[in-house]
Amino acid sequence: MATQAPTAVPQPAAPQRRRSTASGTGGRTAALFLVPFFAVFAIAMVAPVIYAIVLSFYAQQKSGLGFGEAKTSFVGFENYLQVLESESFVTGIARLGLYCAIYIPCMVGGAVVFALLLDATVARARKLFQLLVFLPHAVPGVIAALIWAYLYTPGISPVVQALQGGGIQVNFLDAHMVLPAIVNIGVWEWTGYNVIILFTALQAVPREILEAARVDGAGEIRAALSIKFPLILPALSVIMLFTIIGTLQLFTEPSIIAKATPSITSTWVPNMWAYDAAFIRHNLNQAAAASIIIAALAAFLSLVVTRFSSRMNKS
Amino acid sequence: MKRRNLLVGAASLASSALLLAACGTGPGTSTAPTPAADPSGSITFWSSLAGMDKVAAAFNASQSKINVTFETIPNADSGGYAKLSTAITAGNGPDVSTIEYPQLPQFVSNGQVQPLDGLIDKSATVDKLAGEIRSMVQFGDKTYGLPYDAAPMVMYYRQDMLAKAGVEVPRTWQEFEDAAKKLKAVAPDSYLASFNPNQVPATAGLAWQAGAKWFGTSDDSWEVGVNDEATRKVAGYWQKLIDNKLVKVSQAFSDEWSLDLANSTVVGVIGANWSATGIQKRTEASGQKGQWIAAEMPNWGTPAGAFFGGSSFNVTKSSKNPAAAAKFVEFLTTSQEAIKARGNTGSAFLAYPGLTPVAQQAYDASYFGNDIYDVFEKAYATVSPGWQWGPSWDLTNTALKDAYGNLGTGGTVPTALDTAQKATVAGLEQAGLSVKQ
Repeated sequence: MATQAPTAVPQPAAPQRRRSTASGTGGRTAALFLVPFFAVFAIAMVAPVIYAIVLSFYAQQKSGLGFGEAKTSFVGFENYLQVLESESFVTGIARLGLYCAIYIPCMVGGAVVFALLLDATVARARKLFQLLVFLPHAVPGVIAALIWAYLYTPGISPVVQALQGGGIQVNFLDAHMVLPAIVNIGVWEWTGYNVIILFTALQAVPREILEAARVDGAGEIRAALSIKFPLILPALSVIMLFTIIGTLQLFTEPSIIAKATPSITSTWVPNMWAYDAAFIRHNLNQAAAASIIIAALAAFLSLVVTRFSSRMNKS
Repeated sequence: MKRRNLLVGAASLASSALLLAACGTGPGTSTAPTPAADPSGSITFWSSLAGMDKVAAAFNASQSKINVTFETIPNADSGGYAKLSTAITAGNGPDVSTIEYPQLPQFVSNGQVQPLDGLIDKSATVDKLAGEIRSMVQFGDKTYGLPYDAAPMVMYYRQDMLAKAGVEVPRTWQEFEDAAKKLKAVAPDSYLASFNPNQVPATAGLAWQAGAKWFGTSDDSWEVGVNDEATRKVAGYWQKLIDNKLVKVSQAFSDEWSLDLANSTVVGVIGANWSATGIQKRTEASGQKGQWIAAEMPNWGTPAGAFFGGSSFNVTKSSKNPAAAAKFVEFLTTSQEAIKARGNTGSAFLAYPGLTPVAQQAYDASYFGNDIYDVFEKAYATVSPGWQWGPSWDLTNTALKDAYGNLGTGGTVPTALDTAQKATVAGLEQAGLSVKQ
């Protein structure tokens, strides 16, 4: 996700024109430049995907006590059915849906507000705030989860202690609170990152439009809502796209927090389900099927988001 | 825009598949060759046990034919078995692996370790071991590893806190419950022990001690009894302790658990010989030296015990030099030099006769208020025979661990065991194994 993001800054309509001019001049040169990318892409992306698809159509069957060679046989969509029939997988998807329902409004909403505020502050303070807002993202996900596990653990956490001092009894790691607790880590990690993307989009808003609005009597808030916000919608839709894909891959934070609490099961979210299938239950075929399902879901949701946002941009 | 969709889709597809890309399907192709009388060559050795680098170095120094390269791998909780299993399946695993007893049948069942028959001198190794520990590495007349340690399950208590509560060291589970109540009366914030949802082998040990048999074979089928009668008795007992707030539910080895020991919130530990180092490390700074004692497990009327942990060394399927690997496994498990070389890495209790005193010499047990090795000996002598681990420990382990997740919110120990039983049977059947309940 992090490596794809820099390209996310919207470039209005330029790429299409460029493509048409390039095709005529040096097809061979273009091919030469493209080969390294597609070679690595084929080895590191396409081949594993094809391999996973192939794996997902086979199953290993043992017999009797199981002390012997397993038989591999073609089973069609059997693995897919088993994954979709698995209660823990479906629960994982539902849990992820709930996670999205809390996470996306909080994170994206927060990012928009922060970006607009940042854009409205005086130029000198901007650099500092930009850095401060981005800092959490500089902490690697695993480390962040470890830090938060510490902040959540009753008896150790100064936060829990302070809340108790104020008469609030809360256990962030119990079965009810652990989902919001994980959402909180995600929001903490990703808001700043997305603020930077939106802020960059805001910088590209033509100043003369804003000046015109001001001449017409619009205040800061009116300008933010009626001028700036609609103009950063394309950036927002890109953020939504990456957020949804990133959310479907939720794995690191719950896996780390799981060590501090039994509330997070080994199949808590779909990616953990796939990991569990591959490395705990040693059923690579089922894990492959689960991965393909997750990927298909990501592709489908990406499609929905891009369709939806392009329609919104047009109107 | 179309192309971008496709790329994004493909990228996310690939990242999900990346997990799987790490593991090939091609199993190790080496078939066990006839044992060389005098093996030589280079082998690799993976372990998560501390100090094994020194043992490998000592072996290399002691002879010139076999050269061992050691690599530390993560422990079970951090994905060590996932790494080992994947590497063996992909054909690039080590020659010698370290596998704990509960996990071993699974590696055998997956064909990931080689039988040592014909590679080792049986009369000088396995035949010298006690039956209970030997049965941990032998399946269907074949030996799939040599036992390193034989970890007897024991209790640790703070003797000052027992004295404060006015109780003796509990000998039965009834006395244990009474002691917990009395402790609660004099120290309302303290618990006599913690119940650890992430320590499924501890639940297994408690059940084993009570006469449960989680796994067994008859004819060509597995018998699974994760919620058998003896286990139900144990589960009901612990649920009662949890309900009455006599034990605290916490994840073993978590920060919370460590802090509870240090600040006297929890004053007892269900553990094994290897727990001593961890207890010392976590409580030393709080001035608890001399207060901790080891004791045999409370029992259900007659002395009985169980193993809790313990590792074996094995020759993997991916080994191209099984003869040399087996030679090194013999050294690891039977040589006094190996134990000496490891130095002080904890209160080891070893399976092979005559080795424990060597380990004992290297370990400074003065932190404890009684002779812990004497307790280990006694606990080891009472281990109930006839326990067998199942063909997919990870399955039962995760199922029970997951079900324990509801302990704070309406779930109970007995229902968790029912869930684990169901998950184990379903999982084994899905793999094509024959199961009787």
